[in-house]
Amino acid sequence: MLYDYLLPLLLVLTAAAFMVGRKRALRMAADYGGIRQLHSLPNHYGSMMALACLLPALLLYGIWLSVETSVLDSRIIHELPPTLLSQDAGAQALIINDIKNTVSGNVTVNQDASIEAAAARYQAIQQKSRSAMCIGLLLLAPLSSFIAFRAIKPAFRARNVVEGIIRAALLLCSAVAILTTVGILLSVIFESIRFFKMIPLQDFLFGLSWSPQMAIRADQAGSSGAFGAVPIFAGTFLIAAIAMLVAIPIGLLSAIYLSEFASRGFRTVVKPLLEILAGIPTVVYGFFAALTVAPLIRESGGFFGLSVASESALAAGLVMGIMIIPFVSSLSDDVIHAVPQALRDGSYGLGATKFETVRLVIFPAALPGIVGGVLLAVSRAIGETMIVVMAAGLAANLTANPLKAVTTVTVQIVTLLVGDQEFDSPKTLAAFALGLILFIFTLILNVIALRVVRKYREQYE
Amino acid sequence: MQTGNQDTPFNKEFNKRLKRRYNAERRFKRLGLLAIFIALGFLAFLLSTVISNGYSAFRQTFIQLDIFFEKSYFPNEDLARADYQTIIKSTLREQFPEVTSRQDKQLLYSLVSNGAAFKLMNMVVKNPKLINTRQLVWVPANDDIDMLMKDKIDMSQPESDRRIKDKVFSWVETLASNGRITMKFNTTFFTSGDSREPELAGILGAAKGSFYTLLITLLLSFPIGVAAAIYLEEFAPDNRASAFIEVNINNLAAVPSIIFGLLGLAIFINFWGIPRSTPLVGGLVLTLMTLPTIIIASRASLKSVPPSIREAALGIGASKIQTVFHHVLPLAMPGMLTGTIIGMAQALGETAPLLMIGMVAFIVDIPGSITDPSAVLPVQIYLWADSPERAFTEKTSAAILVLLAFLVVMNAAAVLLRKKFEIKW
Amino acid sequence: MKHKRLLFAGALAAVTIASAPVHGASRDYIAIVGSSTVYPFATVVAEQFGKTTQFKTPKIESTGSGGGFKLFCGGVGVEHPDITNASRAIKKSEQEQCAANGITDIVEVKIGYDGIVVANAKTADQIKLSRKDIYMALAKEVPGADGKLMANPYKTWKEVNPSLPDVAIEVLGPPPTSGTRDAFVELAMESGARKFETLAEIREKDEKDFVKVSHTLREDGAYIEAGENDNLIVQKLQSNPHAFGIFGFSFLDQNPDVIQGSMVDGEAATFENIADGKYPLSRPLFFYVKKAHVGSIPGIIEYLAEFSSEKAWGTDGYLADKGLIPMPDAERKQYAQSVKELKPMAAPK
Repeated sequence: MLYDYLLPLLLVLTAAAFMVGRKRALRMAADYGGIRQLHSLPNHYGSMMALACLLPALLLYGIWLSVETSVLDSRIIHELPPTLLSQDAGAQALIINDIKNTVSGNVTVNQDASIEAAAARYQAIQQKSRSAMCIGLLLLAPLSSFIAFRAIKPAFRARNVVEGIIRAALLLCSAVAILTTVGILLSVIFESIRFFKMIPLQDFLFGLSWSPQMAIRADQAGSSGAFGAVPIFAGTFLIAAIAMLVAIPIGLLSAIYLSEFASRGFRTVVKPLLEILAGIPTVVYGFFAALTVAPLIRESGGFFGLSVASESALAAGLVMGIMIIPFVSSLSDDVIHAVPQALRDGSYGLGATKFETVRLVIFPAALPGIVGGVLLAVSRAIGETMIVVMAAGLAANLTANPLKAVTTVTVQIVTLLVGDQEFDSPKTLAAFALGLILFIFTLILNVIALRVVRKYREQYE
Repeated sequence: MQTGNQDTPFNKEFNKRLKRRYNAERRFKRLGLLAIFIALGFLAFLLSTVISNGYSAFRQTFIQLDIFFEKSYFPNEDLARADYQTIIKSTLREQFPEVTSRQDKQLLYSLVSNGAAFKLMNMVVKNPKLINTRQLVWVPANDDIDMLMKDKIDMSQPESDRRIKDKVFSWVETLASNGRITMKFNTTFFTSGDSREPELAGILGAAKGSFYTLLITLLLSFPIGVAAAIYLEEFAPDNRASAFIEVNINNLAAVPSIIFGLLGLAIFINFWGIPRSTPLVGGLVLTLMTLPTIIIASRASLKSVPPSIREAALGIGASKIQTVFHHVLPLAMPGMLTGTIIGMAQALGETAPLLMIGMVAFIVDIPGSITDPSAVLPVQIYLWADSPERAFTEKTSAAILVLLAFLVVMNAAAVLLRKKFEIKW
Repeated sequence: MKHKRLLFAGALAAVTIASAPVHGASRDYIAIVGSSTVYPFATVVAEQFGKTTQFKTPKIESTGSGGGFKLFCGGVGVEHPDITNASRAIKKSEQEQCAANGITDIVEVKIGYDGIVVANAKTADQIKLSRKDIYMALAKEVPGADGKLMANPYKTWKEVNPSLPDVAIEVLGPPPTSGTRDAFVELAMESGARKFETLAEIREKDEKDFVKVSHTLREDGAYIEAGENDNLIVQKLQSNPHAFGIFGFSFLDQNPDVIQGSMVDGEAATFENIADGKYPLSRPLFFYVKKAHVGSIPGIIEYLAEFSSEKAWGTDGYLADKGLIPMPDAERKQYAQSVKELKPMAAPK
């Protein structure tokens, strides 16, 4: 019971610690002649005590969580009767599962007396361990808070301590991004290497034909696949480019209108409405692209005497563009909104019209933020799958004609990963290689984008 | 100095230019409005398609059976194990005594859903006194009958090309004329988990799964994302390492979402040992996926806070942290919330990464905690969209409506918060 | 201050919901992974099983056959699945992988057949195809008049066979990663190619070359690789009456009012014809059971019993209602027997 609510309880304790710390600082200050005698704000003392309460307890809880299961399991294995012992780790795990199922009162297969006994024993140990945990936590939190409590003196530099911890926490959070990158590289690189052992790197990078038509079963070996990634990357950029041609003008114009011309009421209503576009599941867009937009394009193409494939890059790109409008519009709107009013007033004061102010003053000032939004939109376009699968197909044509069917990297990765072929065939492994190359490719693009932004950004004030 | 209304050559020039400038402004304004209406038009079109496809799923066909719970059907103590299917079959035979051949009987039995037996079971188990009484019970009809009642089956086709045969149609007409078939509000859809029978399928399991998953995503990604953005924008030294991190995060935003699934599989499931298919692991994976979006948006909005604010705060003796948390952060909050809205919207609609961590699955039981296996709304939509039964088409649209409702509630909260923080200066 | 209190209350509530009843890592339900083709059948059985027994409903993931085997062969233990569905038989390399991870006893169960249909919209005419026509219309290379291989020149069905309509060849079908595609290529294309005498020469010389010629589909736009969503193909066919689609029988079964199956070698794609083996395009579906888990994960034996009961996979069973083509009686009996005995497969040679 107590165990289930340990974390919320800890939060309450932390809040209490904050209050006590604050009170104590204020009282101490009163003794020394007023709040001005304190080195830091009373809140800093409170925060320090709160952190002292929370952090060690959280650490203990984390450690306990990560070792509890394995310690419990090994203890129970030691106590198992020899009839249930097995050499095999997997089989052992199944027996443990049986015991745990018995503990939780689930339906089990083995209604064995020895399992029942082990389950009872397990429950006892677990109970003990949990109570120990609760007691430990509830002792540790007040104890560490008390140490902090004792340290509170007017001359104590609580602000420096708290701010140091906050900075460390901030740094830790930004490290998550780096760790994610490392993790992604690690999770694709081994399979990629295996793939490049089967298919030479240069064939993959510069091959002009993508056709993984390899047989799925070994006994029908024969047709070999071609793994040239160029058409897929070309298709990716074609579709992303079409999407951006839709999203950037519509998104940017909407953003400027919303923040500079529209009334407040209009903006409050329209902006969240546009944001819904980003949240409609992509399956819906996929059906829309495949069943409404694609036939429309084919018919109007036929009207002008153009031959249009029933699955075209144009259909997928257009619909994808609609989906990412909010990435451009909402984010740009926020940064345009945040451009200081003084800049506008200055411009108006010189006699510029609103349009001129937007074009010559506000847009350059908001550029870094706008580029950020556009980059996000491009990223989303590259990473999108469902719309392309449904509307642009899977055929890897090397073409710049938006009326033809193309395919994208993400689509290929998904189809290769969830296919029926065996998992160590070059087909599956190609998915990892595609992921790796796409990663490197977008990295290069981002480096270029960063350089460009740094060069053209206008820093005001 | 000359005044404006005198017709000198200079003024003529000036007036012409002024007119041009105002025209340009007007054009630009119209263009902006047009862009907004194009975007809203698409939204309206999409929504109307979904609604027109999905609204019918909120109603469901029921058939009234006159059931006699004869004692002989309940030989054992355990009432749950009685053969309720037989009770229904004999009731149907009673109601349509003219049906005799084996094949026709099969057709007759297919009028009511498989779920009817479970309904009877629940009734009897709850109230054993029903045994040996005669009851009028509304049971769900089979999905084909449901489709027929909703006019989604074209009866003008030749009989061999329809799922509803002429005989079945005549039975349904008989039922209708007796008032024994009707449409009611579909409560099953909101109270049960997934099912392979369209008339029994519900959205509650997936909705709860989405709720747990997004709760974890929000709890982790918002604070971590904002903190990372603050560090990078306000504290990080301006050197190569920071530039590297910046490029890195931008790059992560372009990583296909399924790769995050692979990462989650490797770290959270294989290394940390978190069970597959659970909202916990789903939430962690989606956190990693949405972090770049939130970080980038937050940085952009931190960048747009004028330096004078910081200088003023520092000038009156605030520490760097105080400056950021007391003065910069509130001003940047609207942009950060926008990033969070968009990131969470993406997380809410994402299927691909969940494929790798086992959440694209058939799960009937409704999850009770973050470590119970569960599906999420987009997965449910994806699975239903791929099911052969036609009745799943409307369920798919209805599920999309539920997801959108989810989205609107989530966004409304964030929009309210955003309005609070928004200042124009 | 009011804000902060609200914020604190919110955080408290969120943490409470997120952390409250978390139980140990035990598993009391069957975990199934594998093919998306078997998924719609396995789920029906699982649901029946879950509703009529005291056990929990199994969790069935749709991962594709390959992904399924990868997970299945990961090892013995609760974190690994108990059963994997497959739209093809297990491969030697996969069985070896399983054995290397300590999974030696695997029970193979064939559940029935899945028909593959070539269909078009009802608004167009039904066509009669032979497998030779299919090969000529869809292969990347076909033998010319001189017997030499050339790139497929046929643009319309009429060019392939004068009795067929004069419309451009446009076929929507599964991608090369799909088991449906694999089966289609083998059953339709390869046997169509066998009808050519000129190709017989190649076959005599080198079987591999023949397979390559007969298994490679054209890539000039006449064959369109559509995704795995067969409902979408059905809808695309409706909006484009000139196009044909290749997909599983259950989608034809559910949509008889909008699409029609083409006759292949004079046989219509009906349930009876596929079950009799008259209709040539059908392939078996399987699932594989990890025997080591049978004694430990509750319900596996009962699930197998449900699956192999006549009311499930029999000729009038509920799986047939969903479009699964049942095995012939003798074969059904044989597999039911091996399910009962849990007879493991022979070790890979």
